[in-house]
Amino acid sequence: MLTETGARGRVIAAASAPAQAAGILPGLGFADARARLPHLIAEEIDRTSDARALRSLADWMIRYTPLVAIDGLDGLMLETTGCDHLHGGEAAMAACLSAHLTRQGITHRIGLADTAGAAHAAAHGGAETIQIIAPAETQSGLANFPIGCLRLSDDTVQMLRWFGLTRIGQLYGIDRKALERRFASKQASYGVLKRLDQVLGISRDPISPLRPAPDYMARLPCPEPIGTSEAISEGLRRLCADLCADLADHGVGARGFALHTFGADGTHGYVDITVARPVRHATHILRLFAERLDMIDPGFGIDCLVLEARRVEPMDASAMALSGDLAAQDTDEVALAALADRIVAKLGEGAVQIQSLNQSHIPEYAERMVPFEGDLIPRHGGSLQQGPRPIRLFEHPERVDVLAEVPDGPPVRFVWRRVQRRVARADGPERLAPEWWKPSQKAARARDYYRIEDPGGRRYWIFRNGLYGDGRGGIPEWYIHGVFA
Amino acid sequence: MDIPSVQRASVLCAGKTPPVQMAAFPFGLGVSGVHEIAEAAHGDLPSLTGFAFAASRQCRPGPLLWVSQQTLLAEHGQVSTRGRRVFDPMERECLYVRPRKLIHALWTIEEAIRSKAVAAVVADIEAADFTATRRLVLASSRHGVPVTLLMPYGREGSTAAATRWRIGAVPSAPNRLDPRALGAPRWRGVLERCRTVPNMVGQAFDLEYNDETLSFSLAAGLAVGQATPRAVRPFEAELQQAV
Repeated sequence: MLTETGARGRVIAAASAPAQAAGILPGLGFADARARLPHLIAEEIDRTSDARALRSLADWMIRYTPLVAIDGLDGLMLETTGCDHLHGGEAAMAACLSAHLTRQGITHRIGLADTAGAAHAAAHGGAETIQIIAPAETQSGLANFPIGCLRLSDDTVQMLRWFGLTRIGQLYGIDRKALERRFASKQASYGVLKRLDQVLGISRDPISPLRPAPDYMARLPCPEPIGTSEAISEGLRRLCADLCADLADHGVGARGFALHTFGADGTHGYVDITVARPVRHATHILRLFAERLDMIDPGFGIDCLVLEARRVEPMDASAMALSGDLAAQDTDEVALAALADRIVAKLGEGAVQIQSLNQSHIPEYAERMVPFEGDLIPRHGGSLQQGPRPIRLFEHPERVDVLAEVPDGPPVRFVWRRVQRRVARADGPERLAPEWWKPSQKAARARDYYRIEDPGGRRYWIFRNGLYGDGRGGIPEWYIHGVFA
Repeated sequence: MDIPSVQRASVLCAGKTPPVQMAAFPFGLGVSGVHEIAEAAHGDLPSLTGFAFAASRQCRPGPLLWVSQQTLLAEHGQVSTRGRRVFDPMERECLYVRPRKLIHALWTIEEAIRSKAVAAVVADIEAADFTATRRLVLASSRHGVPVTLLMPYGREGSTAAATRWRIGAVPSAPNRLDPRALGAPRWRGVLERCRTVPNMVGQAFDLEYNDETLSFSLAAGLAVGQATPRAVRPFEAELQQAV
């Protein structure tokens, strides 16, 4: 028996079957319960762990349907439309699900009906473990179920009891207007009518799935649980062939693929890859997954594999150029995207980058590294025409100590990285005013950039942050921002 | 002596690369095979970067892959698109990969060579042993993608690369318009190793990059120690006079 500390002290949160037989039901005070059964064993309920366990069970349920939602504190809602034929019909699927749950030691009740509300009612009010309400018989099938299964608040249920309404079927015959008038508040009456309409399929009752439903997926149940990496890669090869044929039929490609593995012991594993441009080429996808397959832990064996395609986009089939000399472009974009995919699969998301040029004169904003997304030129209209820029730019300007400072000119000597450097020649200044129209640059100061060469021939790009007496802070500081070739 | 700059290949004859003179400067650097460029002293990596870009102008058109180990990036900074324009007038597209580990950097280089999707690979890496360079040489000769490795000043020992250059910055050329300002960049390059032309080993080249003709010229005046065209007045002297 599990207890929970509420506003009125310790109350029962859940009770075992023998305790329930003794009249100890959830909601009863703990002291009352112990008075009835002095030897009962009680423990504090751990809602967080329960929620986590329910969530992992929901992940595992993806093997039956991609649309899984969490229903309350202890329920799962599965949208199985179009999925039952994979298991040989609704009854067979429910039996299979029940067998799996029994093997994992989870007590459960399964309800299956046309609408989410009806399925909820069937699961909570049904006499059997598996309660299936046949299609188009929702109204008659639910007539004898208690009214508490309608997902109503406790107060509303209590009020309906006072009216003598205890079965769902009793509500059918009452005129809607008459039912509405019996409640003090409009909201309560509306709640009852809405729930009833949802159960009967008159009004919509969408479920909110844990993850968005993929547009394309392929599924491979294994006759025996598999545990070797060869078996997994063979299964993946078949799934890829199926999925790619499906994608090709619809003229689309996907920019992400995820492989779900479902263990026989209720565990759920998952690896995914992303690609730079839409693909549907099985060998390419397999090569990308090859780097990741060792991350799958088969545990006690995997009995179902699901491969899903994400971010599906239309894809043009393009013919290869017959000869390199006739190619219209220097760049084979498909090969380049494939290379980027391989590197991303090995080194992680965002490993391949390109520089985007922005419309800014501040050097650290003018060039930004952005992940490569299949297009080589993401230039946002930034101009290449600027003053002389160093070939290597530091991400953050580094502070330098200036030894002999001259107002409005470059320093004579400066210390950078603990080495004193003398200025032999200098060029400048190039003044970059702050971008005062940007909120983040409100406090910024104007910068005077100098190109500087030391007697050894090293060429630096240093700047003074601020002008003397500009009223924006103390004495300007010097920074080095890059090194010239 | 002017190294003739190669005409920009027109779009339709993209597959035809100009005939490469392996026996002449720069001995195939950036055009075919694997080449190493090492720093003459700590801090010369930007000069190496400019030299590598200038040398890669002769290779076929197409994107570059630039692999930089993160340790070297933090020390020497990131290659800048606007900064490299001077050395790379074709404005090739460049993909950047920044692996943390050396082994991942080498893997990326080899993968890029095999894919043949890029025209050339340039990498800043800390070190590479003989086996690693040999692998890159084999892959590069099979797939025809040139590789240039930029390495820190401590680079010594055996290598399978075709050449090893040691490049250092030297004071820039005199600026005709303003004697106190910087001129065209100059580097001193020593050919430390060369498999194709062994008799050139040990030869020193004083290089000046001309951004108008887009070519290297060997700064002969510097090499033999004759007078530069115009004496540069030290900056301090100017300053003292001004004060």
